[in-house]
Order: sequence, then structure tokens, then C-alpha cells
Amino acid sequence: MHEETVYDALDTAHGGEGQWAFGTGFDDPLAGVDTTVPDGVEPADLGAYCLMLGDDALVLCQRLTEWATRAPELEEEVAIANCGLDLLGQARLLLARAGSAGVLGRSRRHATDSIPDEDALAYFRDPDEFVHHHLVEADGGDFAQTMVRLLVASTFRLALFAQLRESRDPVLSAIAAKGVPELTYHRDHAARWVLRLGDGTSESHRRAQAGVEAVWPLLADLFTATEVETRLTAAGVAVDPAGVREEVRGVLTTVLERATLTVPAWPAERPSPGRAGEHTGELAPLLATLQGLAREHPAATW
Amino acid sequence: MSAPTLDRRETAAVPDEAALQAHFDATIAADRRVEPRDWMPEAYRAGLVRQIAQHAHSEIIGMQPEGDWLLAAPSLRRKAVLLAKVQDEAGHGMYLYSAAETLGADRADLTDKLIEGRQKYSSIFNYPTLTYADCGVIGWLVDGAAICNQVPLCRSSYGPYARAMIRVCKEESFHQRQGYELLMTMMRGTDAQRAMVQDAVDRWWWPSLMMFGPPDDDSPNSAQSMAWGVKRHSNDELRQRYVDMSVPQAAALGVTLPDPELALDPETGRYRFGRIDWAEFKQVISGNGPCNAERVSRRRAARDDNAWVLEAATAYADKHAS
Amino acid sequence: MSTVVTDPRDVAETVTDPELPMLTLADLGVLREVRTADDGTVVVTITPTYSGCPAMGVMRADLVHALHRAGFADVDVRTVLSPPWSTDWISEDGRRKLAEGGIAPPGHAPVRTAGPVPLSLGPTRRTASCPLCGSADTEELSEFSGTACKALRRCRTCREPFEHVKEI
Ligand SMILES: [Fe+2]
Ligand SMILES: [Fe+2]
Ligand SMILES: [Zn+2]
Repeated sequence: MHEETVYDALDTAHGGEGQWAFGTGFDDPLAGVDTTVPDGVEPADLGAYCLMLGDDALVLCQRLTEWATRAPELEEEVAIANCGLDLLGQARLLLARAGSAGVLGRSRRHATDSIPDEDALAYFRDPDEFVHHHLVEADGGDFAQTMVRLLVASTFRLALFAQLRESRDPVLSAIAAKGVPELTYHRDHAARWVLRLGDGTSESHRRAQAGVEAVWPLLADLFTATEVETRLTAAGVAVDPAGVREEVRGVLTTVLERATLTVPAWPAERPSPGRAGEHTGELAPLLATLQGLAREHPAATW
Repeated sequence: MSAPTLDRRETAAVPDEAALQAHFDATIAADRRVEPRDWMPEAYRAGLVRQIAQHAHSEIIGMQPEGDWLLAAPSLRRKAVLLAKVQDEAGHGMYLYSAAETLGADRADLTDKLIEGRQKYSSIFNYPTLTYADCGVIGWLVDGAAICNQVPLCRSSYGPYARAMIRVCKEESFHQRQGYELLMTMMRGTDAQRAMVQDAVDRWWWPSLMMFGPPDDDSPNSAQSMAWGVKRHSNDELRQRYVDMSVPQAAALGVTLPDPELALDPETGRYRFGRIDWAEFKQVISGNGPCNAERVSRRRAARDDNAWVLEAATAYADKHAS
Repeated sequence: MSTVVTDPRDVAETVTDPELPMLTLADLGVLREVRTADDGTVVVTITPTYSGCPAMGVMRADLVHALHRAGFADVDVRTVLSPPWSTDWISEDGRRKLAEGGIAPPGHAPVRTAGPVPLSLGPTRRTASCPLCGSADTEELSEFSGTACKALRRCRTCREPFEHVKEI
């Protein structure tokens, strides 16, 4: 590399043609993707389903990102950012898909036209319009609990996405196909930490077990289909979460046993309050941080 | 290409120090690269470890000012850009610590030195990020100044450092471009956004000029570093280059640089600029900047609060070593 | 405006990746298609390397810019998600350029089949030769490096730390 050409490149890049000044026209993560809703599918259902999967990713990304600049080692700093970025990317695609299906909730009451759908949905919905599971919004706790939660969340999501690759909605199927290798990394990364912590020192074992006890009850919400999911599963678009229960249980049991951790009793399952927009007290502060700046400047473009 | 290897450990008959020194001097004189297994004077090795470690520390501490906006980035695209950038910086840090390790240093030990204040990092990161425009200005000015400093290091006499710099510089120019693009977008936005950008420029311009270090006549380690080809241009030379590059960029952006004395010298074609407040620089570098304590204490907390995690990883590796 | 008729594909193929500037988007396998629509619009199709890739906007801007400069007034850059990108899309040229740039190129991506993805609890065993001295005796220092697709390795022979584009 010739250093002079680097300086030149920096100089001319700012030049008259405004190469650096590409703008908001390029924002849409689905730019140019054919977003026609398949025959026999209610757009409102498809959008609602994309919000469920999108919110799970967005909120978990937010929780993971809380570790940025605070991780136990540099390798983990990079790994956590990596997982967060993958989830954020999935969230963007899914929220944009929801928007393209016309599902925007009450967000457009506040968000101006200059704000793309993905941001209207992420930044201008109220807490009761978010439809993620409680699993992802719970405060992360220590590193052990963070990794147990990541293990559970990514095992569940990977199992769903592996099947969603066959969805009749080509956009959803493409998002899933793209997500599978990413989620495989997340799940296996978290699983290896759970092994090391469970089977590490007595302190790490104690913390890992406490993490398991804290996260386990949240499994209760994951496997009961909402009406939207039931209709879309029948239409060949969505995956019935009940259908991935045994796979999820199998993976979690394998990992915990190898990690010398006690597998708690399976919690009594229930319809997910999160999917119905009912959340714990931990969501409001999370959203306040996420949305504060964007809401302060509703007419701004970033 | 590397010079023929003379390795202390592998050469049966140990050549005498003078011959080794002569070979090293010839390598430097011919502008060839010194590689990890080559003999090198102890002072050269120690100086490089100090320089590379300081650089690695800067990458890691440098994650914090912008990292503080990760949770609050105002659009999902900006959040992705920022997260990717913070991840890049951690990658740069890892890479540079590995380069230091080729010289026999140990990352954990270097980290301890950072936390105990025995090694420094770039003092630019001791300023706070007050608004989101700061993220753009850091990309434009701070990454920009870092590039001006680092591009010449792509020709550093020490091979692994030089090669690390080539890759790091490419990523830094992407950061700079994205920072500038954020500012462009904000300048086309609302009045409040434009005011935010100008305010951020006002706060970061002078500190960015200080990133090139003290003036040449007051720079203790420079002369030896230049002679060894570890450093290629003087602080003042690089600073001037940065100013010349930034002034037209500021104009294109539509912001004013906070220096009434800034003016084109028609004879040299370069920009004259005002006097830098070195008293402030010394304050910040000696630990009294706005965020010094916070920056280091976060690193300390990351190390100490999570020590049990690394202990567990070690214990697990030992158990399953066979 | 230029009167020489150039193939827009040739122009698009010169655009480099913002994060790995030694590679063009074509080398990287991110550039999927360049065609001219009936109304003369140049339609360029690109695909992200991973879902969260924040560089898509920059790539689009660079493509539009390059084509405008070459005299193509109407350019439409579209995203395609399927089939998903994997490191197998990196061309032979791209692999050579990576190695020349000191980055070890990827091997073959794992084959992904339908159905549940098996759990992998051991460390991922990857191999890569040192891009500096060619030695195969190298070790992985970190599974993740600066960008998502790269791991950090070290050569045990010449001690060079280097990045390796993982096969994904
Ligand atoms: Fe950096
Ligand atoms: Fe940077
Ligand atoms: Zn080697």
C-alpha cells in the first residue's frame, strides 16, 4: 500500500461529487426485494408474525449490547458484538418486512414520513405494542446468566429458523436461510461457555446454576402458538413453536448435563404474555434508552 | 521481504553482539523489515512494545466514548454501523496485542499496566461524547487523525506492526467515511441536528490536533523512533497534513472549525493555524481529563468483576486437557 | 456523457468492498447480477454477507457512483437475500487477493441441509496456512476477529498474527 495514495483517496473521497454523502435513500434493508405477500396469506398476520420474530431479535440485541466495553475478555467483546449485530440485522429485515405488509401499529402517529418503516417500528411503538417473549427482555444478570439466556434464546430461534427456511413467504424463507448459520454460531458459542462455566470452578458452577434457575421459568412462554401463528402455520408460512419443543429440550438437556448442571423441571407452559404485548417492568427502561434520542427528534433523519 | 534470519535460539555458534548489531543496522539502513525471530537491540524491542501496547490500549479504550451510544443510537442502521465499528476496534486491539506478543510481551501483563496507569493510551478518549453528533465527529476527525498517524506506520521497520497497520488503516478509513456520512446526513437534517454537529466540531477539533503529540522540539522519544524507522514523520509534519486535509472537508460539510487564525498561506499552499493549548494536553495526559478515571475504571471492572469467568475457562481447559 | 459503449457489468465489477478493499464486490461474490432493463436503467443486484452487514448502503452508493461516472444515468441497486451468501461465493481471484493481502482465505463452507442443525460443543477445528511464510503450523487465537467473517490466528513458525476468513 502506498501511503500517498491513501491520503489521496481520503482527499478525493470528500470531493465535489459527494461520494461520501450517500444518504437515506439507501436505508431500506429490503431495498429492491420483491415483498409481495403470497396468495392466501393475510398481510396483517404476516406482519404481526414478523414483528414477533423481529422484536425477539431487537430486544435481545439490546440486552447483549449492554455488555459492550464490559465483557470478560477481548475475544468475548468481539463475539458479543458479533451476535448482537447478527440479531440486529435479522430484526431490521423482519421489521422492514412487517412494514412492507402494512403492519406499523400506532408508530406512524409519531414517526414522520422521512423515517423508514424499520425505525418507525423500533423507535415509535409503545411498550404494549412490542410482542417479544419475556425471555429476551429480562435483565441479563451476570455473565453466566447472560450465556444461559443466549443459549436458550438462540436454541429456540435456530430451531424455528431451520424450519422457516421452507416458509411459503419467500422473504421470510430467505431471512431464515440467512439467519441459520448466524444462530448456529450463537447457540454453539453460548453452549461452550455454559460448559466451561458449569464444569469450571465451584464459583462459576454456582453462578451457572443460578443462571439456569433464573432463565428456566421463561421457557414456559415459548411453545404455545398464538392465533396468528396457528393461521400462518396452516398456510405454510410460519412454524408452530410447539413443534420445536422437543428439539429445544433435547439440546438444552445435553448441554446442561455435559456442563454438570442440574436440569430443572420443565415449567408449566402458558400462552406468552409477551406475544400479547404484556410485559414486565423491565421493558419500559429498556425502551426509554433505545428510543429516547429518536423520539426527541421525530422530524430528524439520521 | 524479510532479511535473512539470525535467530539467537537456533544459531549453533552464537554470533557476537557487534555482528548482530551490525546486521540489524544494515537492515534498518536498507529499509528492510525486522521480523520477530531476528535479533534486535533490547531498546528497540522495548520501545516497540511500548508503542504497540499504547496503540492497542487506545483501540480498546477508544471503544468506550462511542460505545456509550450503542444502546441509544437513533436509527437501526446507525446502531449497526456503530456496533460494527466498536467490534472493529476490539479486533484492532486483539490484533495489536498479538503483534506485541511477537516481541515477547504478554497481553494480560500489558492490560494490567494500562489499568494501573503504567502505560498510556491516546488522551483523545478522555473527552466525553455528549451528543450523537460526537459519534460522527469521532469518525471524521479522530479516526481521520489516527489514519494520518498510522498510514506512515505501514512502513514501520517492524514487520508484524507494519502489516497490522495496513489492515487497520483500511478499516479506519471506512470508519472515517461512515462518520463523515453521518455528519453529512445530520447537516441536511433539522436545525437542532446542525447545531449538534457544530457543537461537536467545536469540542473535538483542538483535542484532535493534540493527537499528533507534542511539538517536535518537545517530543522526547521521537528522534530515536525516527532513526529506527519505527516512526516515519515528525509530529508537526503529520499535524500539518491533517489540518490541510480537514479544512476543505469542513467546508464541504458546512461547519466552522473553531480557530479564528486558521488561514491558507498563499506561499506554501498550507493552512496556518492557532496555538494549541499544551497545558490542557498535559492535564489530560497526566490523568486529569474529563473522563480518565471513568475510562480506566471500566477496564478495571471488566477485568476484576469477570475474573471468575476466565478462572472457570482455565479450570475447564485443565480438566479436559488430555 | 461518454459516447463509448461500455458494458455496465465491467464498471460494476471494478467497485471494491469497503471493508476488504483488496477485493471487488465481484471477487467477494456479493455482486450477483448486472443487467440493462428495457428502459435503459442499469439494474444491479447485490447480496449481504451477513444479515447485519452495515456496509450495504456504502456498497450501493459506490456502485451508483461508479456507474454514473461511466455515463449510466439511471441505476437501480437491489438487494437479494436468496440464495444466502457463503464464503464459497468468494472467487478464485478473490482468494488469491486475500492471501496477497495477508489474510488467509477460507476453505469450503460446511454443507447445510434441511432439518435441525446439530450441536457442536468442541472447539471448531479449522486449518489455515500462514499467509506470510506458508507454514501450516498455525493456531487460532480467537474465533471472532474485527469483522464477523474473520478469525484471528497465529503462525507457530514465523509468529505472524494473521486473520483468516472463516468458512461460513
Ligand atoms: Fe481502530
Ligand atoms: Fe476506528
Ligand atoms: Zn508464518
